[in-house]
Amino acid sequence: MEKLLKKNIRNSRLAFLQKSGARVIFFAVLLLIWQLLASAGFWSELLFPAPRQVLASLMQSFADGSMPQAVFASIKRLLVGYSISLLIGIPLGLLLGRIKLLDNTLGTLVLGLQALPSICWMPLAVLWFGLSEASMQFVVVMGAVMALILAVRDGVKNIPRLYIRASRVLGATGWKGYVYVILPASLPALLTGAKLGWSFAWRALMAAELIYVSAGLGSTLMMGRELHDMALVVATMLVIIVIGLLTDRLVFGTLEKSIHRRWGVSSH
Amino acid sequence: MSKVLLDNVSKVFLAETGPLQVLNNVTLSIAEGDFLCILGASGCGKSTLLNLVAGLEMPDHGTVLVNGKKVRGPGPDRVVMFQEAALFPWLNAVQNVAFGLKMAGVSEKERLERAMELLKLVKLTGFARSWIHELSGGMRQRVALAAALALNPEILLMDEPFAALDALTRDQLHVEIESIWEETGKTIIFVTHNVREAVRLGTRVLLMSPRQGCISREYPINLPRHRHLEDVDLVRIASIVRDDLQAEVERSGVGDV
Repeated sequence: MEKLLKKNIRNSRLAFLQKSGARVIFFAVLLLIWQLLASAGFWSELLFPAPRQVLASLMQSFADGSMPQAVFASIKRLLVGYSISLLIGIPLGLLLGRIKLLDNTLGTLVLGLQALPSICWMPLAVLWFGLSEASMQFVVVMGAVMALILAVRDGVKNIPRLYIRASRVLGATGWKGYVYVILPASLPALLTGAKLGWSFAWRALMAAELIYVSAGLGSTLMMGRELHDMALVVATMLVIIVIGLLTDRLVFGTLEKSIHRRWGVSSH
Repeated sequence: MSKVLLDNVSKVFLAETGPLQVLNNVTLSIAEGDFLCILGASGCGKSTLLNLVAGLEMPDHGTVLVNGKKVRGPGPDRVVMFQEAALFPWLNAVQNVAFGLKMAGVSEKERLERAMELLKLVKLTGFARSWIHELSGGMRQRVALAAALALNPEILLMDEPFAALDALTRDQLHVEIESIWEETGKTIIFVTHNVREAVRLGTRVLLMSPRQGCISREYPINLPRHRHLEDVDLVRIASIVRDDLQAEVERSGVGDV
């Protein structure tokens, strides 16, 4: 028995090593190709920086504090906008999922607005709020909130009828039903919506920052273009990717795991 | 006074093929402490009858009275146990059992104590902290039973609660529900399509006829308690009931038992 267990652990470790090994080799080869292409000199260094230059630019921008500052500015905007989206999106989604009339009216509007890339709000936002933080946050909210509302609404609609009936029998009616049954029952869908909303918000923010230059990662990208500093552009792109991956893995990954542990793997 | 009284109750559902008369002028009186089994083919309206008593549905005609009062919605005096264990996956076993008490505003300490007692009653003490997906079908129904008992309802409404379980587990749960009924004197309305299960558990067995939406026959079961599904007398009665049920199904020309 113990022997079998040990063998199992060994096998799963081996599988993990194989998986991560393949990954490391893949990216090493990619880096090598990049370096070779850069040294072959097909394109000017100004257009196609070598990995070494990108790394140098990355270190430089961290050393002089410009990159942390840009990251901080973008993350702050994102957190403010995203929090507002959660505060609006979750309650509205819950209501839309339960109240048919609201879904047929407001739900249709939300569905329509979802089709509009949120950066299209930028001209209006600038007119309403001026060239300010508020206008960028507005674009972020418009990017995230529609996806959130729709995901939460669908989650609520898909709650098994049995849960609703059981909750009525056990006395969870009115606001208690929302807080203790409908909200937790739609958690898996809510998380999917939150994840989707986050990625929309992130994209919306980058687009907004590209247009409206102030501090921020999007602005750093534009600055790199204006200075013909492609190494900085690529370095900033890498930072944007890493931030996206980290939130996906650390924040949403952890939440998903805890839901899977409770619901079992087949969460609806 | 009867504990539960259905007075000329009718219920119509709007199906795609047109209106469907599920219950047709049903009058039924259930005494306190009765263990009433309602037997019928699928789609005969037996679950609807249960839902009306539960207050999950309202009759189109007639009235449903519990303790002489008209049923206007679900209440803690009537708890339903569904065919599929109605347990919430975001709560563990003991939290599920305590859910109704939480809704009733019982303090956390008190409700967890009570829930642990009930888990002991259904022999699941060791699984209090388990998530629902970690439990077997029989264990889930035990948790659901404990959750239903937590509110200490006067009336327990059971909608084919053991239909999805294996025979062995079902036998065990028959023993458990019978002893709970004996000890607490609760009124139980138990819906099933299993003839022998009905005769095994009931003090009375009612036969519902499909498509007519009414109670066609009634059998008082006077066999001594702690019956076994294989008892000769039980099997004899069950076979009579079964023949009647079969005849009903053939007469209506629909459904299967």
